[in-house]
Amino acid sequence: VVVAVCLASYGTAVGCRYFQASSSTERPAWQTLPGQTTDVFTTARPSLAAAVNDFFGRLPEGEQPIEFPHNTHIKMNIACSTCHEGVETGPVAGLPSVRTCMICHDAIATDRPRIQQITAMRDKGLDLNWVRVYGFVREAHVKFNHAPHIRAKVECATCHGNIAEQTVAQRNVDLNMGFCVTCHRQNNAPVECLTCHF
Amino acid sequence: MDRRSFIKLTAITGSAAALTACGNPEHQIIRFVPDEDIVPGQAVWKPGVCPLCSAGCGLTVRVMDADADVVVNGQAGVKRIAAAKKLEGLPDHPVNRGGLCPRGQAAIQVTYHPDRITQPLKRAGDRGAGQYEAISWDEAIAELVGRLDMLAGAGNQRLLAILTRRTSGHRRALVEQFAARFGAPAPVDYELFGDEVLRRANAMSYGRAQLPTFDLANARYVLNFGSDLLGTWNSPVAHSRAYGEMRQGRPGVRGTFVQVEARMSQTGANADEWIPARPGTEGVLALGIAQIITGKFPAYTLDEVEKRTGVDARRVERIARAFDATRPAVAIVGGPPLAHSNGLFTALAVNALNTLVGSVGQPGGVFFTPQISPPAPNAGGVLALQNIGNAQVVFVDGVNPVFTTPRPWQVRESLEKVPYIVSFGSFLDETSALADLILPDHSFLEAWSDALPESGSTTGVAGVAPPVMRPLHQTRATGDVLLDVGRRLATPVNLPWQTVDEMLAATFKALPSATPDVDAWTDAQTKGVWTGMPPGAPRGGPSFIVPATSSVGIPEPEFDGDASQYPFHFLPYPSSTFLDGSLAHLPWLQEMPDPLTSGMWSSWVEINPATAQTLGIAERDVVEIASAHGTLQTAAVINPGIAPDMLAMPAGQGHTTFTRFASGRGENPVTLLAPVTEPVTGALAWAATRVRISRIGPSDGRLVLFAGGIREHVEHGR
Repeated sequence: VVVAVCLASYGTAVGCRYFQASSSTERPAWQTLPGQTTDVFTTARPSLAAAVNDFFGRLPEGEQPIEFPHNTHIKMNIACSTCHEGVETGPVAGLPSVRTCMICHDAIATDRPRIQQITAMRDKGLDLNWVRVYGFVREAHVKFNHAPHIRAKVECATCHGNIAEQTVAQRNVDLNMGFCVTCHRQNNAPVECLTCHF
Repeated sequence: MDRRSFIKLTAITGSAAALTACGNPEHQIIRFVPDEDIVPGQAVWKPGVCPLCSAGCGLTVRVMDADADVVVNGQAGVKRIAAAKKLEGLPDHPVNRGGLCPRGQAAIQVTYHPDRITQPLKRAGDRGAGQYEAISWDEAIAELVGRLDMLAGAGNQRLLAILTRRTSGHRRALVEQFAARFGAPAPVDYELFGDEVLRRANAMSYGRAQLPTFDLANARYVLNFGSDLLGTWNSPVAHSRAYGEMRQGRPGVRGTFVQVEARMSQTGANADEWIPARPGTEGVLALGIAQIITGKFPAYTLDEVEKRTGVDARRVERIARAFDATRPAVAIVGGPPLAHSNGLFTALAVNALNTLVGSVGQPGGVFFTPQISPPAPNAGGVLALQNIGNAQVVFVDGVNPVFTTPRPWQVRESLEKVPYIVSFGSFLDETSALADLILPDHSFLEAWSDALPESGSTTGVAGVAPPVMRPLHQTRATGDVLLDVGRRLATPVNLPWQTVDEMLAATFKALPSATPDVDAWTDAQTKGVWTGMPPGAPRGGPSFIVPATSSVGIPEPEFDGDASQYPFHFLPYPSSTFLDGSLAHLPWLQEMPDPLTSGMWSSWVEINPATAQTLGIAERDVVEIASAHGTLQTAAVINPGIAPDMLAMPAGQGHTTFTRFASGRGENPVTLLAPVTEPVTGALAWAATRVRISRIGPSDGRLVLFAGGIREHVEHGR
């Protein structure tokens, strides 16, 4: 019971975005002006559920905005980096904006309902709100960088499974520390703590 | 139900309710299509210009993708933007050469400040009550144009007053031209810790009305009268780099550094020798040294110098001999010694020392940065500010005179009488809180920015940078707003440019290019800086006139307050974090400890240990300081590096209205200041007020020290 109460209060403290607002009463000289939307300086977690999930190291199992068929695209010989364009140059591979989709789909397969759905979204100025599938929880203090792995010719499938067989990407590979260290040892990559951790 | 199950049930129900009630699940956030193509995870470094002081350091800005909270068509959501994330010094900039001071590092917070004004605002409640309503840019500009047309229709163009700060870029020229073509008086600039006295003295001594550049890197003896050149004065990053060269950059040669000042600054703490001279007598000491070297100043005998300055005669003689015997030697003056009624005399006296040892225009000596356009003349700022109440319309651009002027000038009362005040500030401060209309400017990262450094380099230098990111809010660049307003007036004020970048292009295209095959404008935009010799700038060393101080008597400094009633000299000094207080809204700077006292988030007064003991004041005690013009209460910090008859206080805190981080925090020493001015330039003599101090009570926790204060001396007698 004590644990539950503690957890609830911890969750409330870290999770609610606007809970700091009350402290401003002691400084009457400063007030929020029209057009100033946010009342906090740094954003906390967007919801209590996200805070609890973060606490237990669980990534959200959200529903993707559209059922994106990876297999169809890979069959067309489209390289992963066409859409995950940061993968060769920076730390994160990146999830594409709807603009990236529309580079091709302004002309290709425009009769499909799913394409019409994203075209409509783009026209309304709305982007695809992808849910991340792979990643490390903040508390793991991991600094992962895609680019050196691509340079070392590590296949995407090594860490992400065979995406060519998947429609919506699934988390099939458990990226725990043992997984990383085994591969680093096999390839004579450094295994010092500071290679991967802050 | 027993007690135990009741508690269990309450806990479970409570957490379940909390889990479902709070916030949206992440995947329901609305995302908007980004305005530009951004490669995720990849950093791009773009040039920038630091806007925080007039040194004009070059920046390089790390720009990466980020998610920003935005509102599109009334719908809140998230948009991926290219956002500036880190500022560093620009390696190829001749002033800062890759360095950046802590204030510059914190400049990134200007853009993302939660209390930034996001859109045009119109006063809704009483003046100064801080109640505003949102209006559109079209309405705001139409209203301003209407006001200016009314003024022009009645033939009262001269009743438009423009308050600005001495910026080193083109914005000043644009505002000046707008004022001239509209028929208004020249813009009024005011800085609390301004350098008008030194500019005037340099014009008289060397024929250049600008701040000097010192070749510290090649100097072997530096005699510095009071300037905090490593901390806050003139071009601190350029000085710090050159200072490092002077001390450790030449094998076997370590330059000597002597500091003359009554309160040890951050710079004084680095010196080999610290000489506390009585406030206002630094010029006497300089001419005493000159008399020993040349014998041409017979009024300044050793006895007379010792009597007036309080510095031992043998010490004066030793310093004079060393200064004369070492080459290259350079004398520097700035800050508190010039903030007296005899400041101009002091500056001329120190300039004479440089002339005597031949350090002007020589390696290791004094230089002047060639200027692309002549520095703005002093438009009699102080007088104009005191008469501001006669204006009908006032523009406030980047200054806060309500906070930084002594009370007897009654600037606040005068501004309250002005029928219409327009502020271009990004934050609500004491002056813009009086405004009827607020037209928020872009941050320096969202607009074209430029700087024409007045000093810090021996070659000509001009910094320029295009916007590094799209504006976060509904703001507009003030230069563009003025150009727009000018075009819409009934009698249009047509400046030769449509936008600010056209104005910049016109200047830069006229400069010789540093890189072959590329014009100077393209080259400067890519690099963030132009260097070279501007056409038309005076060439060769400065032409100097030896000041005729030998025939003048010894001008006494004038102090406000009777010495028997107010026994202490009061020194408000530029805070190493907030300067004159214009940076107190940045939380990184609030939490940065002062280098000497380690004070943060608060105000304090520094007092000599012997004086404190006599008055029964202990570290952190609450004390009251009173001058003939005001009273304040603050905490005491015992400082062995201050004269026994002096009290010093950092400026910058004590804002009543300046964002959530600075409002209602600490005390403003300017409220104690007397309206003493230097008679020739009219500049405020901010170190010429006398005060008294009394203990109010023990520490009440108002002082926050990061470490234990300056304790070694006090506790161990070291």
